[in-house]
Amino acid sequence: MAIDPQDSPETVAARAGAQALRRSASVVADFFVAEGDRLDERTRLLLVQSLSRVVGVLDRAIRRDAARRLAQLGNHAAAERLLGIRDDVARWLSRPDALPDELVEELIVRVRHDQLAEALPIELGEADVPSLLVRLAGVPDSVVAAAAAALLAAESRRRDLADGDTGLTAELHHRLAWRVAAALRTLAGGGVAVDRALVEAARRSIAAHDEGEQVEAVAMRLALAIDARPAERGPLLIEALGDRRLALFIAVLAHALEIEYAEVRALVVNPTDERLWLCLRAAALDRTTVARIALALAEADPRRDIEVFADRLDTIAGIDPAAAGVALAPLALPGDYRAAIRRVMP
Amino acid sequence: MIAAPDRLAAGVLTINLDRDGRLLFADPQLAALNVRAGGAIGQPLAVPALAMIARLAVRLGIVVSRAVTVADDAADIEMWVRAQPETDGLRMAVSGWREIATWRPDGLRDPALGLAPWPGNWRWETDAGLRLTLISPAAGARHGFDAFALLGKPVTTLFAFDEDGDGLLPILSALAGRTRLEDQPARLRGTGVPLLLSAAVRSDGRGAFAGLIGTARSVADDRLEEDEPLPLRFTEELDRALRTPLARIVANADSIHAAAEGPIGSDYAGYAADIAGAGRHLLALVDDLVDLDAIERPGFVVEADTIDLADVARRAAGLLAVRASHARVAIVRPDADASLLASGDFRRTLQILVNLIGNALRYTPPGGQVMVEIVDGNLAGVCVSDHGKGIAAADQARIFDKFERLDPTEAGGNGLGLYIARRLARAMGGDLTVESAPGRGARFTLALPAG
Repeated sequence: MAIDPQDSPETVAARAGAQALRRSASVVADFFVAEGDRLDERTRLLLVQSLSRVVGVLDRAIRRDAARRLAQLGNHAAAERLLGIRDDVARWLSRPDALPDELVEELIVRVRHDQLAEALPIELGEADVPSLLVRLAGVPDSVVAAAAAALLAAESRRRDLADGDTGLTAELHHRLAWRVAAALRTLAGGGVAVDRALVEAARRSIAAHDEGEQVEAVAMRLALAIDARPAERGPLLIEALGDRRLALFIAVLAHALEIEYAEVRALVVNPTDERLWLCLRAAALDRTTVARIALALAEADPRRDIEVFADRLDTIAGIDPAAAGVALAPLALPGDYRAAIRRVMP
Repeated sequence: MIAAPDRLAAGVLTINLDRDGRLLFADPQLAALNVRAGGAIGQPLAVPALAMIARLAVRLGIVVSRAVTVADDAADIEMWVRAQPETDGLRMAVSGWREIATWRPDGLRDPALGLAPWPGNWRWETDAGLRLTLISPAAGARHGFDAFALLGKPVTTLFAFDEDGDGLLPILSALAGRTRLEDQPARLRGTGVPLLLSAAVRSDGRGAFAGLIGTARSVADDRLEEDEPLPLRFTEELDRALRTPLARIVANADSIHAAAEGPIGSDYAGYAADIAGAGRHLLALVDDLVDLDAIERPGFVVEADTIDLADVARRAAGLLAVRASHARVAIVRPDADASLLASGDFRRTLQILVNLIGNALRYTPPGGQVMVEIVDGNLAGVCVSDHGKGIAAADQARIFDKFERLDPTEAGGNGLGLYIARRLARAMGGDLTVESAPGRGARFTLALPAG
């Protein structure tokens, strides 16, 4: 910690004391985190990168736009101050309570989704048949073809974040834009003109954001357009996994069960959530299909124990689809409603 | 580097198991592997990795395909295994049998390795039918085409492939041999922007070709890179930044391997030995890169002192005595009273001779010998000869080129040693030459001006 020559010894001592207390509290809290709940190093690193990417996108967009507005008003000093911020805004925001928990949760799930998708074993179909999305993009049904082409594009965009696109839902983009604007205000020293420029810039970024083009939304659109009949679901799900199109896998399952995409995604990326097997049974998938899905996921995620799954396969395959559907009914309720129920529970 | 394929067993090998998992039939190569692991016909499979896949396929009732590495006596064997449950038992098909050294300096195990982002590089990927499944949107913005409109189209709608300097299309050999694609010249369709393409091959669960993961870089960027020599500071930083941590990695891995801090599983001790081996290889590479940078810098000079070549040769042989005894190879060094004065730099001359003797040791079979002799003539010389497999006439010039290795699958060496040795010899006013014939060993002669 740097000692500012203007600070009195009391101030220095008080600040250092507070910092030591905070650190000690974090270490104690960390000690009690169960081993399985702790982020592994790789996921943590990817999370930091992912956060710095989305914050960076908003930081650049809002800062440039606000500085341009200030310069147009002749307030060059304030514009320079904004552009001259050297602090890493993502790191500055990476403190408890500075970022919405929902954003961090979303980014963790996304990182896990991407890790899983990247590691899925590729399964080729018949020789000379194009891979799944490429084939769907060329089918005569123009709704399916357009959605498949949009998913190819959205996945390319997600892996190579284009400037100004956070890839977040509208709600999270909205909340993060205000946090980034607030961080820039604090780092640039505030002032009425700066506030006004940052507000305009944040509003512009929010207005320009289109969540309908994000991978999740586009995958759901494609699943809806395909509208697989029960007998087609198994082969489609297997093929989506074999083509490493995990978003489509999730969307097809979510569409079949009428559960929100985010709910199904959370089950798929969590190696210990048994509800995934209930989902597969509720979608009326047979033993072989369930086994193939479990094997592909286990090959991609070493935390999944395929031997334990094999012990339980007969039990899982014996679950009545209707009973599985009933057990999953709470998941089919709107997320906001379920969150509200949790909040008002005594 | 030359991308020579490893020894690949042709075709698909079969194993049949009965309903209780006992071995009914195995092709000879697999039967031999199973016997070496302690198994026999009528017994359960003894190779653990294969037995595990067989059991899993039966329990899940589905086909299980996996790439596995099986430890065999001398080397590890990589193979693709496909286990298919049938009514009366299980059929396993094994393909892509490939013997690998315990650790290799190339990245064949990780298809995406070496495709790290570099400023100006952009990504592209295809499926098995070479249709584009990913293009960096930034590439479209940069070169003025619609990246998204090309998704799903054949790769040839994006790139026009050109022949390389030898009149070949590297992509054809990459696809045929399933090897990495390096430096395929190409132009962007429509704009004609010249590019160099590199790509790793990805495989599916059965080892079949499943597409390319590629990068593209503008040739213009490349020229820029070549024209600007690395700043001196960069090499110094590289040296400092890499050598210390690498040395620490090697030291720690060695002590883990030696179980210095208590007992550990033999698997982990083996991994630690691999880590130490890889670390040592990288340390040697850092040394060579620092040398390479020095000798390629304009104005590079080597000190010219009067040195005793016989003495330097004896010291070089002495430095490698332990390695020679491990390899059960004798080094015949110049007599203790022999002396031959030459003009050159002591440290650099020692470096050249250590390199030559080290190479000779590597290629000499156990029980053989490496001769280190002094030769007096117009120039003062030292000859290092071995009785190894020799070098074909066509390859003799090539071995002195940068990053050339005749057999890239061999452990050790990075293809810089002889290049550096010859450059150093020439900088001292001498030369480094080779005489050899296949099967007759090789004889390297370092000649320096007489002192």
